[in-house]
Amino acid sequence: MRPVPGSRARLPRGEGPGDWLAAGSVALSLLALLALLALLAVRGLGHFWPAPVALVTLDDGRQLAGERVREVPLPEGEGHERLYRTGNRDLDGARWAWVAVSAIAAVSHPPDLVVLERRRWGEAIGRLTVLESATGERLEGEAAWAALEARLAELASLRRARDTLRDEVILPRVRALAEGAGVDPELAAANARLRELQAAMEGGRLTLATAEGERLVVALEQILRARRPNAMSSLDKLAAWGEGVWRFLSEGPRAANTAGGVWPAIFGTVLMVMLMSLLVTPFGVLAAIYLNEVAHQGRLTRLVRIAVRNLAGVPSIVYGVFGLGVFVYGIGGTLDEWFFDATLPSPTFGTGGLLWASLTLALLTLPVVIVATEEGLARIPDQQREGALALGATRLEMLTRVVLPMAAPAMLTGVILAVARAAGEVAPLMLVGVAKLAPQVPVDGDFPFLHLDRKFMHLGYHIFDAAFHGGDVQAAMPLVYATALLLVLVILVLNLTAIFLRHHLSMRHGALTRR
Amino acid sequence: MPFVQDQRPSSDPAAVIDFSPEASSLAIRGLSLAYGDKPALRNLTLRIPRHRVTAFIGPSGCGKSTLLRVLNRLHDLNDEVVRTGEVLFEGEEIHAPGVAVAELRRRVGMVFQAPNPFPMSIHDNVAFGLRLQGGLSKRKRDDIIEWALRSAALWDEVKDRLRASAWSLSGGQQQRLVIARTLAVGPEVLLLDEPASALDPISTLKIEELIGNLKSHLTLVLVTHNMQQAARVSDYTAFLQDGELVEYGPTDTLFTHPRLRRTENYITGRMA
Amino acid sequence: MPDSSSPPSVRRRLRQGRDRLATVLVTAGGIGVIAALLAIGVFLVVEVVPLFWPSGATQAVSPQALWLPLEGADDSVRFRWDPTATLGTDEPARISLVPLAWGTLEAAAWALLIAVPLALGAAAHSALYMSPRLRSRLKPTLELMEALPGVVIGFVAGLVLAPWVERHLADVLAMLVLLVPGLLLAGGLWSRLPPRLQQALPLGWAGLWLLPWLLLLLAASHALSPWLEAWAFGGDLRRWLEVHLGLDVAVRNAMIVGMAMGFAVMPSVYALAEDALSSVPRSLAEGAQALGATRWQTLWRVVLPAASPGIFSAVMIGAGRAVGETMIVLMASGNTALMTWNPLDGLRSLAATIAIELPEAGPEGPHYRLLLLAALLLFIFTFLVNTLAELVRSRLRRRYRRLGGGA
Repeated sequence: MRPVPGSRARLPRGEGPGDWLAAGSVALSLLALLALLALLAVRGLGHFWPAPVALVTLDDGRQLAGERVREVPLPEGEGHERLYRTGNRDLDGARWAWVAVSAIAAVSHPPDLVVLERRRWGEAIGRLTVLESATGERLEGEAAWAALEARLAELASLRRARDTLRDEVILPRVRALAEGAGVDPELAAANARLRELQAAMEGGRLTLATAEGERLVVALEQILRARRPNAMSSLDKLAAWGEGVWRFLSEGPRAANTAGGVWPAIFGTVLMVMLMSLLVTPFGVLAAIYLNEVAHQGRLTRLVRIAVRNLAGVPSIVYGVFGLGVFVYGIGGTLDEWFFDATLPSPTFGTGGLLWASLTLALLTLPVVIVATEEGLARIPDQQREGALALGATRLEMLTRVVLPMAAPAMLTGVILAVARAAGEVAPLMLVGVAKLAPQVPVDGDFPFLHLDRKFMHLGYHIFDAAFHGGDVQAAMPLVYATALLLVLVILVLNLTAIFLRHHLSMRHGALTRR
Repeated sequence: MPFVQDQRPSSDPAAVIDFSPEASSLAIRGLSLAYGDKPALRNLTLRIPRHRVTAFIGPSGCGKSTLLRVLNRLHDLNDEVVRTGEVLFEGEEIHAPGVAVAELRRRVGMVFQAPNPFPMSIHDNVAFGLRLQGGLSKRKRDDIIEWALRSAALWDEVKDRLRASAWSLSGGQQQRLVIARTLAVGPEVLLLDEPASALDPISTLKIEELIGNLKSHLTLVLVTHNMQQAARVSDYTAFLQDGELVEYGPTDTLFTHPRLRRTENYITGRMA
Repeated sequence: MPDSSSPPSVRRRLRQGRDRLATVLVTAGGIGVIAALLAIGVFLVVEVVPLFWPSGATQAVSPQALWLPLEGADDSVRFRWDPTATLGTDEPARISLVPLAWGTLEAAAWALLIAVPLALGAAAHSALYMSPRLRSRLKPTLELMEALPGVVIGFVAGLVLAPWVERHLADVLAMLVLLVPGLLLAGGLWSRLPPRLQQALPLGWAGLWLLPWLLLLLAASHALSPWLEAWAFGGDLRRWLEVHLGLDVAVRNAMIVGMAMGFAVMPSVYALAEDALSSVPRSLAEGAQALGATRWQTLWRVVLPAASPGIFSAVMIGAGRAVGETMIVLMASGNTALMTWNPLDGLRSLAATIAIELPEAGPEGPHYRLLLLAALLLFIFTFLVNTLAELVRSRLRRRYRRLGGGA
């Protein structure tokens, strides 16, 4: 049926036209997939590459400076317009500028344009005119830039010192205090040190001359990073790109999820998925063993098997509804009444949280694990079971020493597929415990260390939230792309592992049956 | 062409030899077995002599493998089996409620048609049953493994690669490994279900030699569809057809002077 | 020399005991897990019942309000879903599930309209023509496509594809018009190629080397779209649609949902359909080819009918997925509970409604139970559809086993 490629050419009778449509649908599907992946990769990774800043002079002499974002045709076929990210939201309230291409007189990329990333108001773009250091020194030109870079490095290390002090010394003691422990003398000292650090960070400011001709004064302490993208070499840009990717992965979100990184979401996703696999693996394997090895293989078992398979096709949102109704309102509400009476009516377990989310997703992925494990068990030849029994093994010994080790790759495949599905599933989480912004990750140094009742952030939900609920969707887009790319990568890697395992598995069983 | 009337009856209620209870290892009395409503064995009665090779022969589907699987209760795995009658092993009913099936299967070992080594090393395959029993030092266990591999005439071929995967062996070696694995747990009876049917002639020869050596201390029961093999290795032969025991006797007598015409037809290849 | 003295009976009894205990535990655990899974349906039914047979304080909802048009209301509000504003007030409850069910089915229908031809075409090509090497790589690739999270597809559809399509409506139309002739043209050109070139571009690899051709078509439709727009639609397709067909164009609309969900559903339909096609016993197809049928005729007259139950169940599974998919519809549809035939207008599905409203509905109230009813409907629908598919599939498997083909 599948002749050697090329043998077609010798057949005089042409194929039907349908062949080409069929081949075209393969190509079209692949094209769509490739386009999606390419879009995510380019936009997601490109965002971290320092874009050149254009100084645009318009016909009427006005100027603006910004990163070019995109260009779209005007509705009535009158040429195109361009979108620039101009920043300086505190000056004119807008961060973006649309410019008709026909109105542009000149575009240049002067190397002295500075892009500042600030803690509030987003980025600022302009020329650095004056830097006043904390001691009141006034610097201009290149000296100002050098001083700015030095000061920013200093600020960064001060901030790090402050954060360590706060997280590792002060917060644990404050919590101990809240729980009724005596006053720790170290706390006062640490607080004093904190104030010192805070004071050392203050002072100093710089003045930017914006392209529109206004002056923008920024306190140095507000600046996270400063860059002159037009003056950077490719190597500098590469370093900045690497740093950007790393910050994206390791920092928390800022500015209502439109800037900063996704570390808490990565953490939440991984933790939730780990808890879920801890729950789903034993139960799924147990159910599969029961169905395949213990249960009487009659009509009822066959029906149950079909039902379990079908549950894999039940929409995830239905599992979310079940999780909300049974776990959150049912079990969680009861737990609150019994053990957390004191804090009612504010719920502890009676609201969505890490535990309920993991349980719900475990239930959702249970059919995946059961089906995969069952397939693995069914593939093991009965001779292996009989061989073990004939040596005087009990059924338990046969299962644990021969059958389960042989089915292990299949189980692993099932669990990985379950993890991949759970990592991408968002709809049920919206009902049982994901949060837009969870300042506290569910693990900390505070007893009992793992807080199953806390809400958590999730990569998938982060995409949804930043893309649809953020104030400035335009600003959040690059981060959404990057987050989506990250999520897709995680899921691709997991799936590739499963595919590889399955391939490996079929090779091994092939070797078995060939003899 | 003169028509010679054959005087021998075409069927006769199992005219079989009998062994004294003391000389027999297994005794089967009135055993019938059905898969659901399909009968597989009909009212079998025979004794299997100790430290001899007994062969079951008969056409496919005659129930010889089923009978073999009853002897160490492997048919327990099938829910549909309905069984009546007795099987005594060393004088004890094997289906009695208090019998430990695992222990019975250790004492009545079985080797299957297709080699079924476990996906572990050669060493671990042989050690498998010993580990289940427990209570052996590593040295003692290794000694038994060597003894079992020697008994199965495999030691010289594998002694340098005991840690290699059992699946890397050839089919004949695998089958001898399975025999060694079974010998290691110290069975009293060895059931062989067409042990050489999947093997090449040289491997078959080795297995047959092995069977001859083992009967010094084991009771062997061999199921085979190969008449020459039954004639070569067995001391007694039982011919089964349609779940019934047709004829049972010393191998040379059965093959040279079968009492029944059905038997003769089968062994001379004149089966319909 | 084996140590044939029986092992200590204590140990033997221990092993037996452990075995029995494990059997009991596995049985209990297995039944427990399966019961917990099946409890989902029971839970939904139990929670929905008080909606119709209230006890105590909960107020009943008449089943008529869910399905029948509101009496005395004008056309625009005959079927309305607006529980937050109307439940618990004196106004008649506007809780018609009809627009939601409509939206769900409309989205699923558009998705299937896109996914099924693509998937079946791809399945036929890969089962019958594709070179085994390419096929062994295509299958895992499409499996990866199936694993792409809905939230990512929804994001791309809602925030990238939707605005692009809104601006380039004519491009999309031109592409639709050009696609089929373009592919046929490729076939026509190919058959006129010299044999050496034909061997360099075998049909078995057409899935790959048609990619640049498709890009070319894309570019051509982009270039042609202004002409098309000017010639057939008076220069502006959108205005033409509004004026001549009375179709509003929403940024996020049913067609976007259909495209995105079609993309998401296509791989699972493909996988099952491909299985069905390639498990048709080879002897059947070879018999037909021996009688002089082309491969296309073989596919159409022999293989397809033989595999039709499998293909049917593939489509059913796809329908089940499309009906229940939440994030794509939520992000790409605009979530307006409209009932129109206009593919360029928004919609709102049951699943998306649950995701949006349930977190705010709070436990116990009629709104909560209404949303649970929506979940129950989804559950029943997908469960039935999947069961049907599974039964058809297992019948088919049995038939092939009987046929015992040379496969």
